[in-house]
Amino acid sequence: MIGQYFYHEILRKTVIGFGTLFNQIEIRHSDDNDNVQSRMKVPLAYGPMQKFLAKIEQQPQLKGRAAITLPRMSFEMTGISYDPSRKASITQTFKTCNTGELGNIKKVYMPVPYNINFQLSIATKLNDDMLQILEQILPYFQPGLNITINLVSSIGEKRDVPIILENINMTDDYEGSFDNRRAMISTLTFTAKSYLFGKIADNSDGLIKRVQIDMFDDTNKVTARRIQRYAATPRAIKDYNDDATTAINQDLAAEQTLLSVNSASGLSVDDYIVINSENMQIRSISGNDVTVYRGVDGTTVSDHVAGSIVNIISGTRTPDLPLTGDDNLIVAGDDFGFNELTSFYQDYKDYSPSQGTDV
Amino acid sequence: MALNPFFLQGSPGEQRLVQDLINEQLRMYGVDIYYMPREYLGTKTVIKENVLAKFEDNFIIEAYVQNYEGFQGSGDLMTKFGIRTTDELTLVISKERFEDFISPFSMDLLATRPKEGDLIYFPLSDSLFEIKFVEHENPFYQLGKLYMYQLTCELFEYEDEVIDTSIEEIDDNVQNIGYIATLTLAGIGQTAEASTTLVDGSVNQIILVNDGYGYTSPPAVSISTSPNGSSTANATAVAITTSNTGSGSTTFSVKEVQITNPGFGYTQPPTIVFSGAGGSGASARAGIGTKGVVKILNIYNPGAQYATPPVVSISTSPTGLSTANATAVAVVSAGGTIAQIRLTNAGFGYTLAPTITIAAPSAGGSGVGTGNFVINEVITGESSLSTARVKSWDKDTRILKISNLAGTFALGEIIVGSATTFSTPGIGTTARYAVKSIQYDDQYDTYAENIIIENEADGGILDFTETNPFGTF
Repeated sequence: MIGQYFYHEILRKTVIGFGTLFNQIEIRHSDDNDNVQSRMKVPLAYGPMQKFLAKIEQQPQLKGRAAITLPRMSFEMTGISYDPSRKASITQTFKTCNTGELGNIKKVYMPVPYNINFQLSIATKLNDDMLQILEQILPYFQPGLNITINLVSSIGEKRDVPIILENINMTDDYEGSFDNRRAMISTLTFTAKSYLFGKIADNSDGLIKRVQIDMFDDTNKVTARRIQRYAATPRAIKDYNDDATTAINQDLAAEQTLLSVNSASGLSVDDYIVINSENMQIRSISGNDVTVYRGVDGTTVSDHVAGSIVNIISGTRTPDLPLTGDDNLIVAGDDFGFNELTSFYQDYKDYSPSQGTDV
Repeated sequence: MALNPFFLQGSPGEQRLVQDLINEQLRMYGVDIYYMPREYLGTKTVIKENVLAKFEDNFIIEAYVQNYEGFQGSGDLMTKFGIRTTDELTLVISKERFEDFISPFSMDLLATRPKEGDLIYFPLSDSLFEIKFVEHENPFYQLGKLYMYQLTCELFEYEDEVIDTSIEEIDDNVQNIGYIATLTLAGIGQTAEASTTLVDGSVNQIILVNDGYGYTSPPAVSISTSPNGSSTANATAVAITTSNTGSGSTTFSVKEVQITNPGFGYTQPPTIVFSGAGGSGASARAGIGTKGVVKILNIYNPGAQYATPPVVSISTSPTGLSTANATAVAVVSAGGTIAQIRLTNAGFGYTLAPTITIAAPSAGGSGVGTGNFVINEVITGESSLSTARVKSWDKDTRILKISNLAGTFALGEIIVGSATTFSTPGIGTTARYAVKSIQYDDQYDTYAENIIIENEADGGILDFTETNPFGTF
């Protein structure tokens, strides 16, 4: 059961998300006349790293080394713990469309809330640098700061992850023998309230592309007569196949319903058409003059200039036939309308989903 | 009880002899080191700290290395802040030699003795050490006098101190470390040139009636086709949106519409429609000029090294009306050439194709794009008056690495070198270059991962529809 490979890189993403908060800190130094003479960005890095990499990257030359350049900031993940206070029902699932495989959906169970502990350490040469850095960081944490992390991009799951400043610890070893180096280090501890997701399952249940309801005149199915059937399929309300059937040859003002096209041969009455982002439905056709209903499907009626392309929103329009044209190209997540069909019966039959017919 | 008056307890002659013996020993068994006194340029009160320092002077002096078996300290340490080298060094120098050869050149109050905080350049390991303690009483008053100083030094922690001695081996120690910003400078610039022609019955102005809202990018501008029928007769234009300012703002309004082709053969003003880009509400109306409208024929010389869009001027219309004068703006490509000229007003009533003049790039001035920079030279931006010090200069790529920035350099401005550093006063001609691009993030720090972290986060991990509160990177 356990041991199906998956890796959403949630912990790594949280580490990067945490790091980016602090990669823009700047400090400045002024001379005795209070003129800024030097400004610098504070370098930031994830603390733990392979020792040999650190050595060959940071000290490629063995001669002429400085002790270290300061200031520097480093951060690291110090622990992960379960957070029972944010637990949600475990049986609920997220479902999302599988854009890779048409007709399939992706399913994942509710995530497990975890607190991820971080430590940000700041080392400076001067106390004044330390105060400049701290003052640029602390006001943003009250005591939390939300960042939105794209935790599982394949299901589009973005979550606000509060990063809470827990504790600040400042050390300054300035006392004692002159032989000891003064070290100024501040350590800020944070908790990021993140979520861990399990494996995302591909589910072939598929998207619902057709709904059919049979209505009987009684609840006793043995004696009940079938009265009525209602079926519905999605109807595209925008053009997907970019058919560019024709174009209008005169400006079309918002109040006009008669439009003049280059050629009406590809159009037929009741077709839905779209010009720019306005949908229309054809009422009648006379030569190359087309009378339309403007602004259907909730689109905004607007002006169109001569030369604007006319696209047909094609489709079967009857729910008892397979989806075709733009209706079949509707992308997961888009809005759509409905093709409806109501049939009336006086029989005792029942629909068998497995055989796909009335029995 | 007083001392025995029949004994001298060290006569001046004896004391001199001891001092001479010590001096001789140091000169035989010691190594030459460079003593570099600290200049205090900025000191904070209350929190007592020297925040700005410069090391310009250097004095060579012989010193005996006390720790002859190797550096003291804990060596190289792996810390959470990267590698820290903790080498320590104990040096013995002669008190007399210091007072004779270093003190007279120093203006400092404490010039009579070596000071904590001053630097020592130790040539054997080619590294800089900071004096952290000066022991003056070891050995303890032999013959009633002190003859030497023992300097306890540790490897220098570099921040932004200026190390500008005359000696290259010393100065290059900090050449590649610390904060380094990068300026890419433009070469010798070239002025772009274009030609115009006249067209009739053309869109000469598009006036924004409503700027709309909610556009995520500039919306497409559609203009009614010309009755002429030819595809080149149709006017085209582009919308320019407002800049994305304010926290959390991700959408724009339309700021203006610029004509890319005024078209011809229009008999009445065409309709303008904005579409796409998610926004709504923008509307505009067009004006047409029946006679003598300006059209950009071609850009026959795209110029070179433009950093910012130059001013474009077109000679005035003979009608004498200010609204009849054509105006235009230039679009600069990533390569620094003029990619397009767009008309903000195509004018009317011209009888001859007007002259179009594109301003020279800032890199096109006399003497701009020439000269060289030297390490530690102070450079100044001529318009922003920002200053910085040169870390290194690559003449071939025209990449100038700088540190100790004061102020913010502006794109396109001329930066000029001072051609003088402490070590090389008044050398050659001062370099003058136009700034092509500025990178304030340190790309050369071997520790910093700021850019990597930001790029990873921008690659789809973070959702900054609400902007980064710490500023845009």
